[in-house]
Amino acid sequence: MANSNYLSISDILVTNEKVPCKFLLDLPKMGFLDPSATENDLKAGTNIEIPLWLAESLYTRRPPLVSVDLPKIYKETYREILNADSCTVDMHKLGQHFYELGCYIAKHDIKGEVSSTLLNTFRQRFKMILSASVSTDSINSVQPLSMSERKRTEAAVVTERALSSWLKIGDCPLTTANMVANHRKRKRAEMELL
Amino acid sequence: MDPFEIEFIGENRIVSIIPNFSHDKIYLICGEFGPFRAGLPMNVPLWLAVMLKQKQKCRIVPPDWMDMEVLENIKEEEKRSRFFTKMPHEHYMVEAKLLLGAAAEDIPRASEVKTIIKDIWDIRMSKLRTSMDALMKSGGSYGRLDHLTMMEINSVKPLLPQAMDELHKIKMMTRTSASATLNNSTFTQSGSSQNI
Repeated sequence: MANSNYLSISDILVTNEKVPCKFLLDLPKMGFLDPSATENDLKAGTNIEIPLWLAESLYTRRPPLVSVDLPKIYKETYREILNADSCTVDMHKLGQHFYELGCYIAKHDIKGEVSSTLLNTFRQRFKMILSASVSTDSINSVQPLSMSERKRTEAAVVTERALSSWLKIGDCPLTTANMVANHRKRKRAEMELL
Repeated sequence: MDPFEIEFIGENRIVSIIPNFSHDKIYLICGEFGPFRAGLPMNVPLWLAVMLKQKQKCRIVPPDWMDMEVLENIKEEEKRSRFFTKMPHEHYMVEAKLLLGAAAEDIPRASEVKTIIKDIWDIRMSKLRTSMDALMKSGGSYGRLDHLTMMEINSVKPLLPQAMDELHKIKMMTRTSASATLNNSTFTQSGSSQNI
């Protein structure tokens, strides 16, 4: 989504994600789309998963050939989980392109709640990424991230490393005093992290 | 940007030295400096000062702000205020690091100064992170970076702007459903394949 061009690879990958669709009309000779179909023709009312790019072009025809359903991570149950605490969700498994696909899918949501869920999720997970990027201990303890989140975290870690190596280098590194490092409060904070 | 590039920019700052040799004016890209008279204080760029100090050709006059009392005040104010306070100058961290590294003996109470500057830096960094998180939570669409120095801004650079960008994109794409269609070129592509 960073640059949603026609030739942007990430955008192509996002639009290649499958979304569940219901066909509204009979389509002759299109039975091959449904792997479980036995006939040559695709019957109206069939539910199958097709890539987003196909679904979009079938949906925008007049009359529309399909009605697009929400993928499960954008459905009510998952929305509730995400709104409650999105930091516990395994984005790597559930939505590699959660935000990007969500932007495309939001208009198929009749209630219009997907967009607020996307924003909420993004905000909640931002803090997780922020704290993960500054301390190397906690990077393993975060839930798997979506593709774009992972990229952002990696970039943040690189800057953080560069800055701390700059602080350490030279004739007089400004380091934490022993007394402060051994302070009880700080140790406890580390213990809680692990 | 790399911290070393910022250090490079910061090295152009003018500091005072007392040379122990005499020399004519020297002509540098960043300006003319000199003439050097042994024992008379003069202004040179930070990088030149550090270089001369390393060759033991000069003594560095500690900058006005590198004084315990001034730094104590800055630290107190930084602690008290919810916002960032004004630092002595844009590259205080670079100057402190280089001067304390090369010329610790020229600065009175150098180790205390070092500790307090590190304290100020830590307070500001933690404040920066808290305010970044607060900015995201409150859903604000812009942040004020008053009194932040270049090094500090750089430390949040890929993460914060990228996150704000993405947040803005999500907002724009989901708000106006009409514009949230696929790229137009995708449509012409599919259109032409249907004609065949």
